[in-house]
Amino acid sequence: MQFSDYEQDQSRLYNQHFHDKNSTDSKAKVKNIWKITAYLTIITLVEVGIGLYSHYTHVIGGLKTIYNVIFILMTLLKAGLIVSVFMHLGDEIKNMIMTILIPLTLFIWFIIAFLADGGWWLKINEYFGIR
Amino acid sequence: MSAIALDSKENVWSGGRSPFNLSYGKVMMWYFLMSDAFTFGAFLISYGTTRFFSHLWPDANEVFASFPWFAPEGGAPMAFVSLMTFILIVSSVTMVLAVHSGHCNDKAGVIKWMIWTIIGGIAFLACQAWEWTHLYHHGAWWGSFRNGEHSESLQHFFNHHTTDAALIAKEGADAAHKMFNFFFSITGFHGAHVASGVVLNIIILLNTINGTYEKRGHYEMVEKVGLYWHFVDLVWVFVFTCFYLL
Repeated sequence: MQFSDYEQDQSRLYNQHFHDKNSTDSKAKVKNIWKITAYLTIITLVEVGIGLYSHYTHVIGGLKTIYNVIFILMTLLKAGLIVSVFMHLGDEIKNMIMTILIPLTLFIWFIIAFLADGGWWLKINEYFGIR
Repeated sequence: MSAIALDSKENVWSGGRSPFNLSYGKVMMWYFLMSDAFTFGAFLISYGTTRFFSHLWPDANEVFASFPWFAPEGGAPMAFVSLMTFILIVSSVTMVLAVHSGHCNDKAGVIKWMIWTIIGGIAFLACQAWEWTHLYHHGAWWGSFRNGEHSESLQHFFNHHTTDAALIAKEGADAAHKMFNFFFSITGFHGAHVASGVVLNIIILLNTINGTYEKRGHYEMVEKVGLYWHFVDLVWVFVFTCFYLL
């Protein structure tokens, strides 16, 4: 491979490697896509089911927090399936995966810091009687 | 889909090839999507911060409880948004099937699945247009609920939490005002992404029909636009959780 293959027309990177539409490998890939679709649909239906249950039974407080943790975990699971299978990130080499995932860990700080700030200001305002 | 197998014995950074085994365009699409993730993340986190800061917050199951024809005036919580989520997931699936057809050099397959993807995108936008219109007719918009208007909608939003009319008129109105500013801004920003995604998909479809990619020898453009389209679906997964579930 020449350096120039990655510039301008990149067809040499791709054109020699078409799959056969009717091969078992290709059919297995399509089957996998529909399997992931079923997973995404089932997870969404479970989320909606829990949401409706907590709505009609008026769940509040600690139990609602547990439900929220479940919702967030299911959301991350759906996100993982979409990114790794539908966006094919799981098929890329490790270096590429890491340059995408490591910067996203900033979100851990981002979420904790800002939500804690919001919660703290509510506490302060309630303490001083400001609402 | 990468074409060249990397020889692990060689140093990938010594030049002469892409260290990520990807074309320039695809690497840049990934980095654009990563930066866009931070934009959406910042929006959703500021929404969360405001919610944590507020004493009272509208109940999503009371706000988003309508469905055209069956329950136009409420009573069907989560139903319509579930439909919207399902439409977007399915259009993501048809997109990944278009990408797969591209890998197989199957022009007819790419055309078929791109058309379905475009239909899904338009259907989602139509649903969003209905939802926005419906909320608008009940008094919700950017800057709404600031001047004591639409008090019957407000009472409804806080059904399960309080019946204290004075509290709702003051804190409830303030919270609803903030919530709808975030709701219309974030779903609007997402809708703008969907709309531009549909335009990109149509361009790719026309190029495919014209044989542009057939002549080029590969369907990598379908993959690049596919990445963008999946990202739009991915963002919706988080918007769905933040606005409708939590």
